[in-house]
Amino acid sequence: MRSALAALALALAGLTATAAFGHMLNVFAFVEDGEVVVESRFSNGNAPQVGEVRVLDGANVPVLVLPLAEDGTARFSLDPDVAATGLLIEVSTGGGHDNYWILTPDDIARGTEN
Amino acid sequence: MKAALTTVSVLATALASSAAFAHYGMIIPSDPMLSQEDGRSISLDVSFSHPFELAGMELVTPVAFSVTHEGETTDLLDALTPATLMEAPGFTLDYDLNRPGTYIFAMEPQPYWEPAEDSFIVHYTKTYVSAYGSDEGWDAMLGLRTEIEPLTRPFGIWEGNVFQGRVLLEGEAVPFAEVEVEYFNEDLSAQAPSELMITQTIVADADGVFSYSTPNSGWWGFAALNTAPETIAFDGEDKAVELGAVIWVHFEDWTGQ
Repeated sequence: MRSALAALALALAGLTATAAFGHMLNVFAFVEDGEVVVESRFSNGNAPQVGEVRVLDGANVPVLVLPLAEDGTARFSLDPDVAATGLLIEVSTGGGHDNYWILTPDDIARGTEN
Repeated sequence: MKAALTTVSVLATALASSAAFAHYGMIIPSDPMLSQEDGRSISLDVSFSHPFELAGMELVTPVAFSVTHEGETTDLLDALTPATLMEAPGFTLDYDLNRPGTYIFAMEPQPYWEPAEDSFIVHYTKTYVSAYGSDEGWDAMLGLRTEIEPLTRPFGIWEGNVFQGRVLLEGEAVPFAEVEVEYFNEDLSAQAPSELMITQTIVADADGVFSYSTPNSGWWGFAALNTAPETIAFDGEDKAVELGAVIWVHFEDWTGQ
């Protein structure tokens, strides 16, 4: 568990160098009805029209790539085994607009309870 | 003669303990900008005090305490936990921030009788908290009876930046409103060379807009004061009611050289 989180932290260290410029892209994710819901939005409130979502597990292993919908969201089924140590969800919309959300085991547990 | 001077000195000491300091409703969160790495919840201290002197006064259960996020207001009055803050009764609250955006915590206190001013004080108090890197809703208003409209985003600003706001009373701008500004002197490290410098006083312009630049980081309270048209009876007399619109703003350390 600790090594998985350390891997996530290392991945984040690389990401934070590019995350917060100009029209910052905000990324958020939560669990609802057995799905992971990803939301992304620029700091001016606009949703990105195109983009890619990359999902990595707690060991920093890529598990899924999917496109953003036109409203800046994406959904995928939650695999409890893959998500046991948390998920790192990266969203890239090009032009240096990248950001991420860490879906922690506690986040997943809360979303699963509701 | 010496006895007379002693009497004057004693009187002055007694007055100084209450006269020179402004009253402030306070809502101070543990973090004004919660990032995802910081966790998923904040704690808040809710009090009534002289913040520069860390002199607390009793805050009884407010009339209302709420949080507003994405246009939805949630009553949190029952979630307040009694606590001692600045050696006086106040409240604390733990609150989960479940989504990104700006959370606005607000309090309407019960009227506070202030014998030194021969009036009641009602300070409508609010504090804006950002969650997970999003400032969406930073300029949202709550429709309080009196309220400061932030014209500067009320979080994520550097020390020395200008904070600008507009004073509203019953929904209308208040020309030339008086605004008191005071620093939350949490560690008592700030020393005022004159009592005049504990509370800064500025006056808004004809549109109710005021500006203030802070000398250092930390929490700064802005209180726009007006007198209500109504009175409250006390000991058989009608007493004036001071309406305060209070906003707390956190200024961050400048990190450059």
